[in-house]
Amino acid sequence: MTTALIADDEPLLRERLAHHLALLWPELRIVAQARNGREAVELFDEHAPDIAFLDVHMPGLNGIEAARAIDRRAQVVFVTAYEQYAVQAFEHGALDYLVKPFDEARLADTVQRLKNRAAAPAADALTPVLDRLAQELRSRMPARSFLQWIKASVGNSVRLIPVEQVAYLRSDEKYTLVAWDGGEALIRKTIRELADELDPDRFVQVHRSVIVNLTQVAQVIRGLNETADVHLRGRSEVLPVSRSYLHLFRQM
Amino acid sequence: MTPDATSAATAAPPAGWPAFLASLRGPSVGTTIGLAIIVAAMLNPIFSTAFMVLLGRTLFLGIVLLLAFAAARAWPNAWGLRWLPDGLGPVVAVAAAAPLATLMVYLMATGGNFLAFVQAPDRVSGFMWIAGSGIVFGLLMALGATVREKLAYTRSQALQFELERSRLEKQALDARLSLLQAQIEPHFLFNTLANVQALVESNSPRAADVLKSLIAYLRAAMPRLHDDQPTLANELALVRAYLELMQMRMPDRLQFSIDVAPALAGRRFPAMALLTLVENAVRHGIDPSEEGGRIDIGARTEHGTLRLSVADTGVGMDAHSTPGTGLSNLRARLQGFFGPGATLQLEERLPHGLRADIVIPA
Repeated sequence: MTTALIADDEPLLRERLAHHLALLWPELRIVAQARNGREAVELFDEHAPDIAFLDVHMPGLNGIEAARAIDRRAQVVFVTAYEQYAVQAFEHGALDYLVKPFDEARLADTVQRLKNRAAAPAADALTPVLDRLAQELRSRMPARSFLQWIKASVGNSVRLIPVEQVAYLRSDEKYTLVAWDGGEALIRKTIRELADELDPDRFVQVHRSVIVNLTQVAQVIRGLNETADVHLRGRSEVLPVSRSYLHLFRQM
Repeated sequence: MTPDATSAATAAPPAGWPAFLASLRGPSVGTTIGLAIIVAAMLNPIFSTAFMVLLGRTLFLGIVLLLAFAAARAWPNAWGLRWLPDGLGPVVAVAAAAPLATLMVYLMATGGNFLAFVQAPDRVSGFMWIAGSGIVFGLLMALGATVREKLAYTRSQALQFELERSRLEKQALDARLSLLQAQIEPHFLFNTLANVQALVESNSPRAADVLKSLIAYLRAAMPRLHDDQPTLANELALVRAYLELMQMRMPDRLQFSIDVAPALAGRRFPAMALLTLVENAVRHGIDPSEEGGRIDIGARTEHGTLRLSVADTGVGMDAHSTPGTGLSNLRARLQGFFGPGATLQLEERLPHGLRADIVIPA
C-alpha cells in the first residue's frame, strides 16, 4: 500500500488535502500530518512514507528545506499559495506542485502522475534544483545587513529605536549615548562596534567618540586648527569634528 | 561623501584664512578706498598738509580698519573677542584699531618721536580728526556689515525651517500615497481563500462567519482616496476581522485579545494604522514561530496621552532585520494625522516578542 505524509502549518488545508486524496486515491494511506518543516522531517524518518506533500511556507524549517532533508527517499509534491518564483522553479525543475487553492481536477492530475511514477525511482536532478530554490527563498528574506534597530534600555523596558531616527551616538566611558527623536539613552555597545555595524553611507564617525547621522545634519561650520562643528536639525547640541575626520566635509 | 550628506550640510559662515580672504574680496575694498577719498576731501579744508598726504593717511587708516574687521570676523575666538556679545567683535576691533592706526601714521610722520607728536598742536588735532572720522565711518561700516550678516543668517534659518517643514509634508504625502497603492498581499488572499474553500466544502457552519470577516477585511483594505471620518471603532473592527481570519488559519498558533474601552470608540483614528502593527506582529512575530503566540491589543490614557498597544509573544525583532517601509510610513502618517507629538514606540518583550505602541494626544 502506498503511504503519504502531509505537511502544512494550516490545519484546515491539511484536512482538505487529506479529504480529497481519500476520495481520489482510496488506496493511499496518510500516515502522518506535520505542522511545520521540522515535524515533517521527524515524522518522515519515523514513517518513511512513499510520498510527501510539503507546504513551501512553514515556520522554522520551510518546505524546500524539508525536501532537502528528505532527499530522494520519497516523491515530493510541493504545495504553495501564489508564489510566482517558486512555481517557475518547480516548472523548470520538473517538480510536482499544487497551487493553493487547488481544484479536484488539478489534484487528480497530480495523483495520476504519482501513480505512474510509483514504480520508477525519484529523479536524480532534484538536489540542484532544491539547492537553487532554497537559496532563492533565503535571498527573498529581508537581508541581514547593517544595523537597523538600536536596542536601548529606557526605564525598565528595552526600546527598539529605528536607526533613521538616531541623530548621533557619543561614547561615554564604558557606554554609548544614543540621541534620537524621542530622547536619549545609554547602551552597552562601544562606538567602535557601532561604527562597524551601521550603514556607512548614512552614519559617519566624525570624532574618536562621535558618530553622526548625516541625514540629520543641518550644517558643518569650520573652526580653528582644522576642526569643525556639526549642527543638527532641530537640536541645540554641537558635535565636534576632529582633524582626522575633516576630509569627510571637504569640498562643501 | 553621499550626495545626500553634501546637500544636508550647507556651507555656513566659514572661519580662519578662507574667511579672512573672503571678507577682503568683493565690494569692501572699493568701498573703503571710496570712503578714504571722501574723508580726505572733507578734511582737506581744515588741514594744512597737502591733499595727497592726507589721502595717504586716510587710505592707510581705511585699509587697516578693513583688515582689523576681516581678522576679527575670521577668528572670532581670538584676542579675547569671544567674551563679547555675538557679532560685536568686529565692531569693537574697528573702534579700537582706528586711534591706534592713526597714531601709527603720525608716529611715522614724526619719525617715531612720540614727544614731537604730542607737542605739536596741529598734529594732535589732525590725529583727532582722522581718528574720529575713522571711528565714525569704520563703526558705521562694521555695524552695517554685521547687521547684513545677521539678516542673511535669519533668512537662511527661515529658509531651512521652511525646507524642513516641506520635507515633513512630503513624507506624510508619500505615506498616504503608498497607502493608496498598498495592495492586498496575494499570498495572504489565496491562503485565506483556500481555508474558506475547505470550510465551504466540509459544510462547516463557520464558513459564513469567516466570509463575513474576509469581506470586512477586503472592504477596509481596498485602496481609497477619501475616508471622511475614520474612527478607532472602524479600525478595531478591521483588526478584529484580520485576526479572526488568521486565527481560522492557524488556530493552534494564534490567540488574541482586544481590550479597548468603548468610550474611545468614537475617536478619530487614521485607517490601517493599527492594522499595520497587527499585520507586522503576525508576519514577523507569530508566523515564523513554530509554537506561535498571543497578540494583545490594548489602550490606556496616561499623562495626557492615549497609548494604543499591540503586544505579541512571537519571535521578536532582530536588530539587523530590515523594518520595511511599513513602520516609517506609519510614523509619518501618525504625525500627519495627529501632529508632531504622535510617536510610534517599539519595545522588546521578555522572554520574547515585541510590543508596539502608538502614542497620541489624549
